[in-house]
Amino acid sequence: MLYKTNAKSLFVTTAIISWVLLLSNILLAAESARQAGAPKWALPYFNNLLTVVFILSVFLYQRLSADNLKGIDFIGYLWNLFSKAGTAAYLSIAIFLGYRLSTGYANLQSPLLLHIVYQVNFGLLVLFLAKAFYIWRQLLLYHKNKFLQIAWDWFELLLFATLLLTLLNFNYTSYIFLPLLALMGCYILFLCTNLKWVAYLTFSKKSRSLVLLGAILLSCYIFMRFFYQFADSPELVIDYTDVGFLLLAMLFVGFYTLAAFLVSLFSLPTSSVFEQKSEDLLNFQRLSQSIQQGQSEKQVYDMLFESTIRASDANAAWFELIRNGEPQITHLLNINNEQIVRIRHLLLAYNIHNIDYINNNLDRNPGFRDLTLPWKALIILPIKSKKHLFGMLYLLKDIEQGFDRETTNVLRTFTSQTILTIENLRLVAESLQNERYKEELKIASTVQENLIPKTFPSDNWFEISTHALAAKEVGGDFYDFLQLSESRIAIIIGDVSGKGISAAFHMAQMKGIFHGLMQQDMPPSEFMKQANSALSRCLEKTSFITSALYIIDYRMKGFMFARAGHCHTLYYNSMTDETFYFQTDGLGLGIIRDKSYNNHVKEMYYDYNPGDVMVIYTDGIVEARNMANEEYTEERLKYMLTQTYHLEAEDIKCAIINDLQDFTGPDNLYDDQTLLVIKFKPTQPNP
Amino acid sequence: MKITHEIKESTIVITLDGELDASSSVILDEELSDPEIMKYSKILVNCQNLHYISSAGLGVFISHLQRFEDAQIKLIFFNMQDKVRNVFEILGLDLLMTIVSNYEEALTIADE
Repeated sequence: MLYKTNAKSLFVTTAIISWVLLLSNILLAAESARQAGAPKWALPYFNNLLTVVFILSVFLYQRLSADNLKGIDFIGYLWNLFSKAGTAAYLSIAIFLGYRLSTGYANLQSPLLLHIVYQVNFGLLVLFLAKAFYIWRQLLLYHKNKFLQIAWDWFELLLFATLLLTLLNFNYTSYIFLPLLALMGCYILFLCTNLKWVAYLTFSKKSRSLVLLGAILLSCYIFMRFFYQFADSPELVIDYTDVGFLLLAMLFVGFYTLAAFLVSLFSLPTSSVFEQKSEDLLNFQRLSQSIQQGQSEKQVYDMLFESTIRASDANAAWFELIRNGEPQITHLLNINNEQIVRIRHLLLAYNIHNIDYINNNLDRNPGFRDLTLPWKALIILPIKSKKHLFGMLYLLKDIEQGFDRETTNVLRTFTSQTILTIENLRLVAESLQNERYKEELKIASTVQENLIPKTFPSDNWFEISTHALAAKEVGGDFYDFLQLSESRIAIIIGDVSGKGISAAFHMAQMKGIFHGLMQQDMPPSEFMKQANSALSRCLEKTSFITSALYIIDYRMKGFMFARAGHCHTLYYNSMTDETFYFQTDGLGLGIIRDKSYNNHVKEMYYDYNPGDVMVIYTDGIVEARNMANEEYTEERLKYMLTQTYHLEAEDIKCAIINDLQDFTGPDNLYDDQTLLVIKFKPTQPNP
Repeated sequence: MKITHEIKESTIVITLDGELDASSSVILDEELSDPEIMKYSKILVNCQNLHYISSAGLGVFISHLQRFEDAQIKLIFFNMQDKVRNVFEILGLDLLMTIVSNYEEALTIADE
């Protein structure tokens, strides 16, 4: 960097010194030429050397200061070229006119002043050429390949080599050099065909660039005119048209500007097509990237609507989103609801709604003609995958044959890209949801498993056998026990409505309430009232819990129980040899959330006999379904107990569960199944 | 599940057709949450073709029960199948909600 800055200042200094020296030398020569008698100070070689040094330092300075192309702001470069170099020509013409006016006004001949003007204009010309040369180089090498780079490097080298001619004071117009010069000209013409950057200009940018290019062309012309006016002038001791390098550089700058001007001019009518194409491409890209950018479906439809209108140049359009089979207009352009309704009615009458449809001449169709719509062409594009219709896009144009094959293809590509995007968006969302759901279920089932006691107290006055099967989807069954005193045990069973993590959470709450309240040893109905009051504050509105609580006292040989919306208890009485359900009233917990709940729960006391069997279960048992969608029912459960009451608790349970599984068939579990069988035994506990 | 409704003056008759499970109860909840429904003084629910009701379905009715009661809107179920009625009874809802056998009876009770 330091080297570059140093080199730049060195070039600037050299340029200024060489220019001043050249000026003074010329002035000296002119002065001596005027005083005919004085000795001739002609030093052509010295002048040529200074000229070459000046040109070289200015060109090399510009070469260093030219930056690499940044972006595609070509107008910026053209403006830079015009403002920094093109204006030099206008400055030079102003200086010359000033000189003409002043000499004309004062009516005097001042060769010295003329020489100064000529010399200043020479400086401006070199500045202009150097700046233009290197800005054109950047644009010319836009999207370069290796061949072009080499061609350019050779051109630059050859061009600088022509400075040698000047240095050695050869006349380039001599017959030896003319063919070489012509070859150089062809080389320049070849280079001028590299105008890739013009294609990237939009219509408005091209118009602006035409103005700028025209101004630059005018600058070239002014310089040419000026210097050729003074060519071989007897008034001047020096003639810069003799410098071949300048001619070639001017040829290059002039030709390239002209080529750019003409190409811009002739590509002006077609530029809108390329603009459209590149915009279409960009929109495709945006559509396909919308998944990564986490955009919503609405944003995708917004993009589709805008892009298709622009791609087809439609005058009116609307988009319908299909929700639950009903179309819903979400986007509108230049059309009102009443017109939409009329068009839809007509399409429905023709039975062509919701299908791919193009009508490029609506006036020819009597139905459409009667609608007196201001449009003449209609295209309907369904956004439809194999399985699902997402929406319908309607585009209208006010000219016949408005939707040609090319436009239709682009539109179809847009719609298929949209379908792909929407489907992918849904898939991504679904898999995320599934992942979360699975995770939730895993937590829920772990919680559920941990909440259910693994062992029951065993005693010689009763047997208990349990069965608990958690369904994948629905869950919320639980049971628990608490030894209240030596002779009393509390058993609770319940079912939480809902599933997943919230059900597991409420189960945990219920377990907490059970253990908390039963520490105070209260009757079952009181427990239900207090549990209801506690749950009322935390259960969400649509959730409730069914539960039943039993307190068995073997010293009293009886049990007390209360039911809160839970399944009726099945009982076998060994004395009467009867199997029946306890028909007690009781409202589920969390249904009424105030004190009036207290009237809705009943308590019952029952004396048991040895050999009695109590079956406690959840609705997953009696509502289990078979392949024919029939329920297991309370009757079948009751029948099973009448057949098995004489067995041990464990065997009764197994018999019921086996029968249930025979009934439902394998892999047909929709709800949690919980079953507790308690059999009272005749033997008394040890004292 | 198909949910349809029919409006007669101040009465809205909601007909439930199919199984009211976790997914379809969302639609029912939307229907009952509609502020428009508070315009009617009687909501009659035809359960003739309701074959099954899950706890989620019951939860929807329970969650709206208090709101209707506060607004003095009568919620009456009729033509309920025994199987479904049993579910209501076990939960104790038969004492909270009005369940009658047919449409005529529902109208009489509603007009009381």
